[in-house]
Amino acid sequence: MMRDLAIRLRSLFRRGAVEAEMDDELRFHLERQTDKYVAAGLPREEAARRARIELGGLEQVREQYRDARGVRFLESLLQDAGFGLRLLRKPPGFTMVALLTLGLGVGANTAIFTLVRTTLFRSLPVRASNRLVVIWVNNLEQGWSRIGPAGQDYLDWKQQSTSFEDLLLFEHGSGTVTGNGEPEQVAGLRVTTNFGTFLGVTPVLGRTFTLDEANGRHNYAVLAYRYWQRRFASDPSVVGRGLTLNGDAYTIIGVLPPELNALWAVDVVVPFDNDWLKRVDSDLGVFGRLKRGVKLDQASSEMNVIAKRIAGERPSRRGFGTVLVPLETVRVEFIRPALLLLLGAVAFVLLIACANVANLMLARADARRREIAVRTALGAGRTRLLRQYLTESVLLGLLGGATGIVLALWCTYLFARFVPAQIPVPNAADQVILPVVRLDAASLMFAVLISLLATIMFGTVPAFVSLRCRVNDALKESGRGTLSGPRGNRVRSALVIVESALAFVLVIGAGLMIQSFSNLVGANPGFHSDRLLTMRIKLPDDAKNSPYKEPRQRAAAFQAFLSHVEAVLGIEAAAFAEIVPLSQDDMDMGYFVIKEAPRLAPGEHFSADYRDVTPQYFRTLGIPLLRGRAFTDHDSMENPRVVIIDEALAQRYFPNQDPIGMHLQIPEAGRPDREIVGVAGAVHDVSIQQEPRPTIYFPYLQSPDQTMSLVVRTGLPPESVLPAIKNAIWAVDPNQPIFNVRSMDEILSGVTSAHRVALLALSAFALLALMLAAIGIYGVTSYVVTQRTQEIGIRRALGAHPSDVMQLVVGQGLRLVLAGVAAGLAASFALTRLMSALLFGVRSTDPKTFAAAAAVLSVVALAACFVPACRATRLDPMVALRHE
Amino acid sequence: MTPRIELPQGTLDLLILKTLALEPQHGWAISERVQQISSDVLRLQQGSLYPALHRLERRGWVKARWGTSENNRRAKYYELTAAGRKQLEAEESAWRKLAAAVAQILETA
Repeated sequence: MMRDLAIRLRSLFRRGAVEAEMDDELRFHLERQTDKYVAAGLPREEAARRARIELGGLEQVREQYRDARGVRFLESLLQDAGFGLRLLRKPPGFTMVALLTLGLGVGANTAIFTLVRTTLFRSLPVRASNRLVVIWVNNLEQGWSRIGPAGQDYLDWKQQSTSFEDLLLFEHGSGTVTGNGEPEQVAGLRVTTNFGTFLGVTPVLGRTFTLDEANGRHNYAVLAYRYWQRRFASDPSVVGRGLTLNGDAYTIIGVLPPELNALWAVDVVVPFDNDWLKRVDSDLGVFGRLKRGVKLDQASSEMNVIAKRIAGERPSRRGFGTVLVPLETVRVEFIRPALLLLLGAVAFVLLIACANVANLMLARADARRREIAVRTALGAGRTRLLRQYLTESVLLGLLGGATGIVLALWCTYLFARFVPAQIPVPNAADQVILPVVRLDAASLMFAVLISLLATIMFGTVPAFVSLRCRVNDALKESGRGTLSGPRGNRVRSALVIVESALAFVLVIGAGLMIQSFSNLVGANPGFHSDRLLTMRIKLPDDAKNSPYKEPRQRAAAFQAFLSHVEAVLGIEAAAFAEIVPLSQDDMDMGYFVIKEAPRLAPGEHFSADYRDVTPQYFRTLGIPLLRGRAFTDHDSMENPRVVIIDEALAQRYFPNQDPIGMHLQIPEAGRPDREIVGVAGAVHDVSIQQEPRPTIYFPYLQSPDQTMSLVVRTGLPPESVLPAIKNAIWAVDPNQPIFNVRSMDEILSGVTSAHRVALLALSAFALLALMLAAIGIYGVTSYVVTQRTQEIGIRRALGAHPSDVMQLVVGQGLRLVLAGVAAGLAASFALTRLMSALLFGVRSTDPKTFAAAAAVLSVVALAACFVPACRATRLDPMVALRHE
Repeated sequence: MTPRIELPQGTLDLLILKTLALEPQHGWAISERVQQISSDVLRLQQGSLYPALHRLERRGWVKARWGTSENNRRAKYYELTAAGRKQLEAEESAWRKLAAAVAQILETA
């Protein structure tokens, strides 16, 4: 066996040497035979002739010899490929267009495939990630679709549910680390002590928490990899060292692996203890790991039964249910529709590319009709010719694929530059961290696979069409008639119709996206977003010797910051607010009842978003005050409690009434009534697409918070005033961390980023599709013109006007395109529905967009037909008549 | 001159192996030897000898090396391998059985 293989390989790769040896051997034989006859008395020439005859024809023997080597098939394949390569080199125009077309198709597909694979189908770096679900509570009456549960919910679920192997509770937070260089604000995560076992995480260093560490307060901290790198320079002896977090001494017990950053982008992880768990209020995160074999809806219905039981025991949970969503879905659900849309769109581009190349191949097969006919007449077998065709197609396909891979590399570079690494998730106070998109082995496999698939699509049709042609007809026919007669033309026309239809669908998709995006950008968010700069400031009030323990101290600090910032040159207005609109920072919401309205049943109340703001907030953001007054510095602790409500709350709870002068009550013990002193315009707080939610504004001085966002409207470019603003704050307290500095433009572009990515990519694909379709239409029209040259000549000779000829040619092309538009219209009605999740302010079947897309495609088609049509009108009738 | 007969299908390999059993030979000598021994009764198609040799080489029954011929020329010598020897025995006995059976049928029928 091995020997056989060795000989075959040698024949294949050392072909020259093997051939030379064969010739040597045969020559030796002939010499000896000739010598024998010469010795017997024959003249040398006669002797040589007899020797050759006896051997049986040198060339035949050599062929038999070659057959015996067992590499015949491969050899002829190499021959075909060599021939194919020479053919491809010959008309460089054809090859360039075909390769570029294929390359664009394959490249775009590979790039999008890679993006989708790394984003949607990436498994999380934790144990059994496909069985992890996120559990929220919801309250449909209040319009809350997903809110984080409280510690007691977690304890109840853990005790009562049977669907889960384990549940993990966590809370995002932030803290100030001191004593290790300058004070720093870190992102923290507080978790139940089953953290390590739940996720199956192996720490890089040290350990995570143990289950029994939940009994009693343990100040243990596990560092995230990035924080360990950044602040401890990846010091391997960090375990056992101390960390001062919010003034408390913690002991570092371990370092997490870097992959976990994809799940939680935090710096430090600390544990909950059991007592704490009972106390923590809403807006925590809970993950559950389903038992093997338990379906999501089984778990959901069990959890809803539990929710009803809990509602019976705890009145504050009345009306609440639970929502379970697989973790892997949650993390991408926001961007998923956009990516799937792109995946579909890019497949269309490939189909169009295939149709185009098929058309090109048909045209070329036509040019080679004579060659094929001659080869058939000389005895080339049909299978041999088919093989030749397919070898050429595969060659073209693979070269196209290679071009595609290069283009895909470039595309991923573009992704890296233009697609944001993080996409904010509305309603979740969270972000999707997009992975770095890189071409990997799977991408390359995919590229090769679709290249071959494309080859089958564009290669077989022309091969069969041209093989059907009869040898005799082809040889008899004068030079340039039709190869394949009506059949070839039908195939060609069908290809153009399909191409136009596909391009039409893409143009409609892009049109809808453009309109939707301009609606999104043009929509009024309820405030003026230009020239706004925002940053977060958190007073380190939980540190032991903090000067900010008292609300009054906090209020004073923020007032001092504000007066210093307002004095900075170029600042038009400045304010503090608990949360900046659209920033996706933590939500704050709560209950209220209206003192003047009929009493609600006990335990029942309304809910609204809460906002603590300083007096200048409305002026700074340009939120209109519809009635009443803004807050002033007199709305402080010493004076009566007041609130401002927004338009959404006013319309919903005070229809046809003047809310000014009425009172809101916050249903918690010891909170006084609050008089409504103003009504402000509604603001899109969560996302531009969502209706504004009822909001209550509280004067900052009456409920001083710990973390606030500074919002500044500047007359100068925001970046240029930033240092002065920081210095103004540091003039008050040099140890005050300032973080999350963003301009409102950045925040807005984050909010619209999924749409922008979809818009850009879809528009690019639509443009590509239009270009390819135009090439296709152009190709077929000019082919038809060449084919009908004689006919056109006759028409002209009989008195047809050039405009008649123009009409004839353009009409023929337009008919195909219109057929394509009709087919595309039907497809679009079905397909654009799938993208309605991405559309804002425009229906998926918007007639205006459909009409515009049809117009665009027709214009492009007209332009594509126009060039060959012009050539047809300029034909000299005499030349045309003689044309063969 | 006795009329020559064509070599029956499949016997060429056997004859080559048998010829090589005596000593290593080059191609021309093999064809001469076959004709001599068969008293020129068998007509060996010389052209088919070389592809056959190559086949045998690929199967590992013979191995080839370049050597110098009796008239001092470079020639390709073939020699039987151990596997070739086994194959020769097998083919020989098969052939004898076949020949005996055919002869018996011809005599008695």
